[in-house]
Amino acid sequence: MSARGFERLNDEGLVFNIQKFSIHDGPGIRTTVFMKGCSLQCKWCSNPESIKPYPEIMAFDIRCIGCGKCMQTCPVGAISFSEKGREIDWAKCTLCLECAWVCPAKAIECIGTYVTVDDVLKKVEEDSIFYQNSGGGMTVSGGEALLQWEFIRELFKRCRDRGIHTALDTTGNAPWRKIEKVLEHVDLVLYDCKHMDTRKHREGTGVGNELILKNAEKVALRVRTWLRIPLIPDYNDSEWNIRELAEFASRINVEKVSILPYNELGGSKYPKLGQAYRMEETAAPDVESLQKAKETIESRGLKAEIGR
Amino acid sequence: MKTPTATEVKDLNERIHLKSVRNVRRGQEVEEGIDIYRPGVKVCLERTRLLTESYKMTEGQSPMMRQARALERILLNMSLYIRDWEQIVGNYASNPDAVFWPIEQNWKSVHRLLHGEGKSLLDDEGRAELDEIVEYWDGKTVSDRRKKAFAGCPDLEKYWKYEGTMLWSQWSDQGVPNYEKVISIGLNGIIREAEGKLQEIRRTIPSDYNCQKEFLEAVTISLKATIEWARRYAEKARELAKSDKDQERKKQLEEIAEICEWVPANPVRTLHEALQSFIFTHIVRDQIEFITLGCGIRFDMVMNPFYKKDLKEGRITREKALELVKQTRLHLEELGQMYSPTLTQVYGGVQVLQSLVIGGVDSEGRDITNEMSYLILDSVLEMKTLQPSIALRVHDGTPKDLFVKAIDVIRTGVGYPSLQNDKALIPLLLKWGCPLEDARNYTISGCVYLDIQGKNILRRNSTYFSLPRCLWWALRQGIDPKTGEQYGAPTPDPTTFTSIEDVMDAYLEQVRFFMEKQVQVENVTRSVYAEYYPRPFASALTDGCIERGQDLRSWAYSGRVESFAIAVGPTNVADSLAAVKKFVFDEKKSPMAELIKIIDRNWEGREDLRQMMLSAPKFGNDDDYVDMIANEVHCRTEQVIEKFSDFCGSGFHLDGSAVSATYGLSLDTPATPDGRKDGEAFADGSLSPMPAADVSGPTAVLKSCSKVDTLQSYNYLLNQKFLPGFLEGENKEIFYNYLKSWADLGISHIQFNVVDKETLLDAQNHPEKHGGLVVRVAGYSAYFVDLSRGLQDHIIARTEQGFA
Ligand code: SF4
Ligand code: SF4
Repeated sequence: MSARGFERLNDEGLVFNIQKFSIHDGPGIRTTVFMKGCSLQCKWCSNPESIKPYPEIMAFDIRCIGCGKCMQTCPVGAISFSEKGREIDWAKCTLCLECAWVCPAKAIECIGTYVTVDDVLKKVEEDSIFYQNSGGGMTVSGGEALLQWEFIRELFKRCRDRGIHTALDTTGNAPWRKIEKVLEHVDLVLYDCKHMDTRKHREGTGVGNELILKNAEKVALRVRTWLRIPLIPDYNDSEWNIRELAEFASRINVEKVSILPYNELGGSKYPKLGQAYRMEETAAPDVESLQKAKETIESRGLKAEIGR
Repeated sequence: MKTPTATEVKDLNERIHLKSVRNVRRGQEVEEGIDIYRPGVKVCLERTRLLTESYKMTEGQSPMMRQARALERILLNMSLYIRDWEQIVGNYASNPDAVFWPIEQNWKSVHRLLHGEGKSLLDDEGRAELDEIVEYWDGKTVSDRRKKAFAGCPDLEKYWKYEGTMLWSQWSDQGVPNYEKVISIGLNGIIREAEGKLQEIRRTIPSDYNCQKEFLEAVTISLKATIEWARRYAEKARELAKSDKDQERKKQLEEIAEICEWVPANPVRTLHEALQSFIFTHIVRDQIEFITLGCGIRFDMVMNPFYKKDLKEGRITREKALELVKQTRLHLEELGQMYSPTLTQVYGGVQVLQSLVIGGVDSEGRDITNEMSYLILDSVLEMKTLQPSIALRVHDGTPKDLFVKAIDVIRTGVGYPSLQNDKALIPLLLKWGCPLEDARNYTISGCVYLDIQGKNILRRNSTYFSLPRCLWWALRQGIDPKTGEQYGAPTPDPTTFTSIEDVMDAYLEQVRFFMEKQVQVENVTRSVYAEYYPRPFASALTDGCIERGQDLRSWAYSGRVESFAIAVGPTNVADSLAAVKKFVFDEKKSPMAELIKIIDRNWEGREDLRQMMLSAPKFGNDDDYVDMIANEVHCRTEQVIEKFSDFCGSGFHLDGSAVSATYGLSLDTPATPDGRKDGEAFADGSLSPMPAADVSGPTAVLKSCSKVDTLQSYNYLLNQKFLPGFLEGENKEIFYNYLKSWADLGISHIQFNVVDKETLLDAQNHPEKHGGLVVRVAGYSAYFVDLSRGLQDHIIARTEQGFA
C-alpha cells in the first residue's frame, strides 16, 4: 500500500490499520480493517489515532535513535532536541507528515493511509484459508467506518462475492439511508451502545443517543446483530443503565451482548499524538461488576459474554 | 510402592529435576554463581572403567570383537539399582545422579572440563583414575584416529576445526531400531537369525567370510550379554523382594523379576513387558554400546496392541498403564550425556533429544491413532518432563479429539507435542527415494530428525552449517578480514555486483566451497568409525545387517535419507538478501561498499543505516518480496548440497533441526545486512522468522512459511510463541482451526512455546519461585531457570503471538 498523505482519490478510503488474526471481532479467525475518522469523541477511546479523518503523526520516543533527520526536515520548526531527546511542539505542527517519511527508526510514524478497495481486498484475501477453517472472515471497524460508507459498501460487496464472511463494527451514528445501503452486503453487525440516558451519552461521546438507538432497532431487524457495551466505571456501569441496556437489547432482539471492560492501555497513545488523556483517574472494572452486569443482561433471557 | 496415589505422582515429579537439567548457555559466556551442572550431579566412571579394562584385555583382536566384548563386560559387571518406586527398571550409570561421556570417542575436552570448570563433578580419587584411563586412550579414540587420518592433509584439519562457519559434529549417529521385531521375536529370535546366517556362510563361504563371521559372532555376544543384563535385574529384584516387608511391593518386585527373565529375550506378551523391553533395548543401544542422540519409537503404534490385549484380558487398568508409561518416560528423562563445552551450546546441556512419535499413518496409509496416543498425552498432563519430547504426526485423518488433547498438553507450556505434517514430509521422503511404505512409516528420532523405524539410516548429522556466515564470506571474497587469509571461496568483488542475483551466486559458491570441505572431513571420519567402532548390538536391531552379514556402519539404506548438514540461520540470509535488494539495488539508498564497511564495524555510528536495513521486508509477514527470496535461499542451498555424496554413495541434504546452534553459531557470525548485530542470535528455527520481526500476527507467519517449498528443499523447524490464554476456553477451537490451517498449508513442522512474558520476567528475577517452569528452546525443552541470562533474554524477546 502506498501512502500519499493528503492526496485522496475518489475511490480511496482512509485506513489506519489492517489487523490479521483478529479473534474478538466476530466469529473465527478474522481480519479487521480499521477505518480512520470518527463522528463520536469517546473520552475512553483506546484508539485515539482513529478519530481524526485525515492522516496524522504518532511519535514513539523509545524508538528514537537521535539522528536529527526529522528536525532538519520539519518545515515549521516544530521539532527540537533537549536533554529529554527529540521533542515535538504539537501546537506548531501542521501535520505535513514530512518527518514520518524521513525517520529511519519508525520513531515518528504516519497513521492513516489512502488505499483502494483492491488494496484492502488483497490483504484480506491473504488469510482466506484461515477463514475457511475457522468460520471467520473480515470485520470493518473504526473510528466510525460508516463515515466512509461508499468505500466500505464496495469492500463488503467484493468480499461477499468471494465467499468471505463480512462483519461491521459500528457506533451506528450515521444516516439510515447510508447504513441501509451498506447492510446489503453485511452478514453480522457488532453494534456499540454506551448509555441509555442521552445526556450522559452526550457527555461521554459528544453526541446524543437518539439516532443510535433508532438505528440499532432497524439494524437488528435486518441483520444478525451482536450488541457491544464498553463498560466504563463510574460512567455507564450503574444498575439503572445496565438494566435499561439489557431491556433495550432484549426488545430489539439482538443475538448476544458482549461486555467490553474498559482498559487503561489506550491511555499511553494520547501523548504520542500530542493529546491529553481525560481518563487518568479511571481503573479497569473489577470482576464483580463485570459479572453483575453479565447477570443483569442474562436475566433478560439474553446470551451475554465478557469480551475484550 | 503401592498403586500410585496423587502424592506419589508428585514424588515422581520431584525425582525429575535434579537429574536431567544442566545449565544451558550461549557460547562461552561464563555466569557467576551457576555451575555447568545442577548441584548433586556427578560423573560416573564405571562404564569408562569397564570399557577400558575390556579393551586392554582384547588387544590384538578385531575391532568388531573388541566392541562386542566391551559391551559384554560392561553389561555383566556394571552396578544395577532398582529404586523403591520402580516398576520399569534399567539404569545406564551407577547412580541416578550420574552422567558420563564416551571416552572411546574423545577424551580431551571432557578431561579439560573435569580438571577445570567442572572440577566438582569428580573427586580427586576419580580424577586420578581418569588420568590413568586417559593415558590408555590417548591416541586410540575416534578423535585421535581421525587426527591421524587427517595427518599430511592440511585442508582436512583446517576445515575440521570450528572457525564459525561449520561445526563438525562427532557423536550424533542415529537411526531407529526395529522395535516391532524385538518385541515380536525377542533377542533370542534375532540370535537364531544370526546363527542361521552363520550356518549359511559356512556352507557358501563368501569372499568376505571372515568379516561376516566376526560380525555374526559379535552380534550373538552382544545380544546374549543384554539378555544376561536383564537377568541380573531379575536377580536383583528377587533379592529385594526377599527382604521387603511390604507385601504389595514384594509382589511388584517378583513381577519385575519375572518380566526381566522373559524380556528382551523372548516375544513380548503384555504392555508391561513391551515397555520394559523397549527401555532395555534403548539404553543398551543408545547409551551403553554407543552414546548417541534420539529415540523415535512410534510409541502408540508399537504399544497399543499390548495395552488393548491387557485390557481385554483384565490384566491392566488405565490407571496402571498410565503409571507404567510415566515411568517409561522418566527413564528416558534420566538419560543424559556430558558434552564438550562447544557441543553443550548446540544441544543445550545434556539433552539427548529423544522423541516419541504418535499419530500419523501406517505403511498402508491408514490413521493409526489409538488409545495409547491419548494415554501418553494424559501422562504428560500429570507429569511434565523435558525428555522425551513427543512428536505428533498430523494428516488429513487425524481425529479432532487428538488435536484437542495435544492442545491441552501444549497449553501447559511443556513445549511438546511438536506437530509434524505428513502432507509435507511423506512426499519429501518419496522424492529422496524412499519406497512409499517406508515413507509412510517415517518417524522423528529427536527434534525434527527424520528417520524410518528399523532402516539403516545412520543419519550422521555431519555439520552445523552457518548459512549467514557463508553470505558474510560472499561479501568479503572469502578473505578473512582479520588475517587476510583466503579462507573461503574466491568469489568476485562485491562492489562489482549489479543485482541481487550476483550476491546470491557468490553466496551459493561459498556454500558449495564449504560443503565440499565438510564432505571430505565427513567421509574420512566416517571410515574411521566404520573401521574401529562397529556397533554389533545396534546392527542386530537394524533390518538388513544380519542378512548381509555386515555392520550398520559399512552400508546404508538406499532411500538416501542420511547424511545431513544442519542449516543454521537461513531466515537471516533471506532477510539480508531482501534488505540488500531493496536498499542497495532497487532504491540505491546505500552503495554496497559503504554497507560492507559499516557492517564490518558492527554498524557503529550508523544506527540510521541499520534501522533502514531493519525496515526492509522481513520473513514472517506474508510479504512476497522477501518470502520469495526465502524460498530461493532454501531451495537453491539444498540444490548445492544435494550434489555431494557420502561414502556410501548417498546424497547429502540439508536438515532443519538446528537445536540451539542458532544461538551457538550466531555468536561467531559478525553483523549481517538484515540489521542483525555482531553475535546477535539468528532466528530460532530454520523456518522461524527473526524474533520481533513477525509483526503481522501468527497467520502471516504460517503464510510466509507455506511459500517455502518443502519438496524442493528439506524438513523444517518452526517455533511459535503463544500466550496461554489463547489455548483455553473458547479460544481452543480457534487454535485448533489455526493448526488445521497449518496442516492444510503443508508446512512441515510447528512447535509452541506457551508462556507469558510476565512469568518469564518474574522467573528471571525470582528463579527460586519458578523451578519447574519449562520453555521450548529450539528442538527441545529446558527449565527456564537453568538457561543463561543471554538465552533467557532471547526467549523473552521472541515475538509473542496472542490476542489481537
Ligand atoms: S508533521 Fe509536524 S512535526 Fe512533522 S515535519 Fe510536519 S510539521 Fe513538522
Ligand atoms: S528522524 Fe526519527 S530517529 Fe531520527 S531523531 Fe527524528 S524521530 Fe528520532
